[in-house]
Amino acid sequence: MENSSSSLLAIKIDFAQSHIFFPTIIVWTLVILFALILIFYGIPYLRSYLSGERTLNLSLEHIDKIRLLGTLIVTVLYFILMDEVGTFFPNMGYGFLFVSIPFIFLISILYVHDINRKKLITITLNAIIAPSLAWFLLAKMFSITLP
Amino acid sequence: MEFLTDLSMMYFLLIPIGVIIGIFFGAIPGMTATMAVAVCLPLTYSLNLNEGLALLLGLYVGGISGGLVPAILLNIPGTPSSITTTFDGYPMTQNNQGAIALKTAITASLFGGILSAVILFLFAPILADVAIKFSYIEKFLIIFLALTVIASLSTNLLAGIFSGVLGVLISLIGVYSIDVGGNGEFRFVPGILEYYLETGFSLLPVLIGLFGLGAILKEAEKGTKEEDTSQKVNLSNQQKFSMKIFKGQFTNLTRSGLIGTFVGMLPGVGGSAASVLSYTQAKNFSKEPKKFGTGAPQGVIASEAANNGLTGGALIPLLSLGIPGDSTTAVLIGAFTLQGIQVGPLFIGENLGTWNTMILGLLLANIVMFITMFYAIKYIAKVVTVPKYILYPIIIMMCVVGSYAINYGNMFDVWTLLIFGIFAYLGGKIGIEMAPFIIGFILGKSAEIYFVKALESFGTFEIFFTKSPIAMFLWVLIIISVGYSIYSALKGKKIKKAIENK
Repeated sequence: MENSSSSLLAIKIDFAQSHIFFPTIIVWTLVILFALILIFYGIPYLRSYLSGERTLNLSLEHIDKIRLLGTLIVTVLYFILMDEVGTFFPNMGYGFLFVSIPFIFLISILYVHDINRKKLITITLNAIIAPSLAWFLLAKMFSITLP
Repeated sequence: MEFLTDLSMMYFLLIPIGVIIGIFFGAIPGMTATMAVAVCLPLTYSLNLNEGLALLLGLYVGGISGGLVPAILLNIPGTPSSITTTFDGYPMTQNNQGAIALKTAITASLFGGILSAVILFLFAPILADVAIKFSYIEKFLIIFLALTVIASLSTNLLAGIFSGVLGVLISLIGVYSIDVGGNGEFRFVPGILEYYLETGFSLLPVLIGLFGLGAILKEAEKGTKEEDTSQKVNLSNQQKFSMKIFKGQFTNLTRSGLIGTFVGMLPGVGGSAASVLSYTQAKNFSKEPKKFGTGAPQGVIASEAANNGLTGGALIPLLSLGIPGDSTTAVLIGAFTLQGIQVGPLFIGENLGTWNTMILGLLLANIVMFITMFYAIKYIAKVVTVPKYILYPIIIMMCVVGSYAINYGNMFDVWTLLIFGIFAYLGGKIGIEMAPFIIGFILGKSAEIYFVKALESFGTFEIFFTKSPIAMFLWVLIIISVGYSIYSALKGKKIKKAIENK
């Protein structure tokens, strides 16, 4: 009896394939969990939707599209340009410094509400001072690598 | 006390700096202690281990404590763990007792923090001594237990465990390293990315993305609205605080601090669970439970003693087993790795000096937090009013620095930051929970090694059940944790049904 149970649990892992042994188990676990989620949450949801108790709310109205998409676009540009500009000045951190200033300015402008002269001045000063300070502290004083 | 001679002036200076920056992060709604540690990591790159720790522990304690300020003054929890502080803290502010509430909360925080540091000091070495004897099998079971505990305490049982396992999966991306006895083959990596993903995604950019950029994207979606808070944070006409408020509260303080420490030890459980549990216990044990929610100082005490108790608690599994207790300590693992220190059962024994430095740092951070907040609360309260349009771009910039510099200038890490920032934003929408995810991510690679190596050497799954009494004991704990989670899920459903029927 004991022999049969241990042979049932016995396993031999082929070394050449050992890199996918554990990942396979994990993927299957995820598949099972996903199926359970569908059974326990998906089906009741679908049922209440079909019976008209619940309506599917796919409206994106509550999302501030300009600020969200703006953040994503400006951030992606920031990453690309920082690297590009940085290649002109190797190991100086200027890519970071020169691109961070317009980046901070743009994001601030994107996020601010009811802009006025005073706010604009604060934003401009912040956009110049913050990256310069970060650059000076990190790149110059602490010698940390920056783009 | 030998370790004291290794400490520089800088060490003692960095603790208050860390605490103040931490309080600042904690006090601004939407920014957390985790974010504070993640964003400030690049500052530690050039510091030595002790100094780096001083800064990080300061940030951790400050970040957790700062959340009480907006909770009490504005009814907005600055960090998730101060949610229960709003229940009584804000009513107190409305009753013209804002200053009393703040100082009560600060004192309770100090108590909780110190208590948990003492427990950490006494308990972690014992746990580590037990854990040193663990073989791969027990180590795997510990990770398995950690994942089941996460699941049993997350908001949604299935979503919690799904997130944890997903984290494990993501951690497996890259080569099954020869260094750990693997065969050097790639998993889940498309050919063009093999150069970048040989060792998988780096931990820190992932963390910074999840907790830094992810949080900003969520705020951007909401339109980064500013609230006019300048009126509410004026403390000049409030009643005066006196220590008499703590009369008869010793039990409450101790119980709450212990609950915080204990919940902190459970991996993946955020601070909100600690403070909610301790608040409800304080209410259950109170002679006047009806006062809770209307401005009872006991409520503020329970909530704040618990969420600072979390700090020492969360460090216990981190330092004795290498398993982070919460998302902030997960970031601390990254910082340790950076300094070439492997946390785990051997950590304390092999790094006695560092261990003592940490305990001292944690105690000092709590004391500094108390002094700073107690005497400068008037000014700290103003922090809540710093506009988001100034702060958020700076945070994104710091996220970039942290990710780029971690591997000495690697642009791919910056893209990793973006990928995981977007993942945190979208994942949150469909119910992926970040704390289990990140703990799965951190532990995944080790889990694989322990699991596969144990099977390779013993050749049977049976060994996981029969290896040692400790293994069997761990199974008992796993069964209790799974059983509890199923029980509470069913109970939750019943309550929900009862509410619906009403």
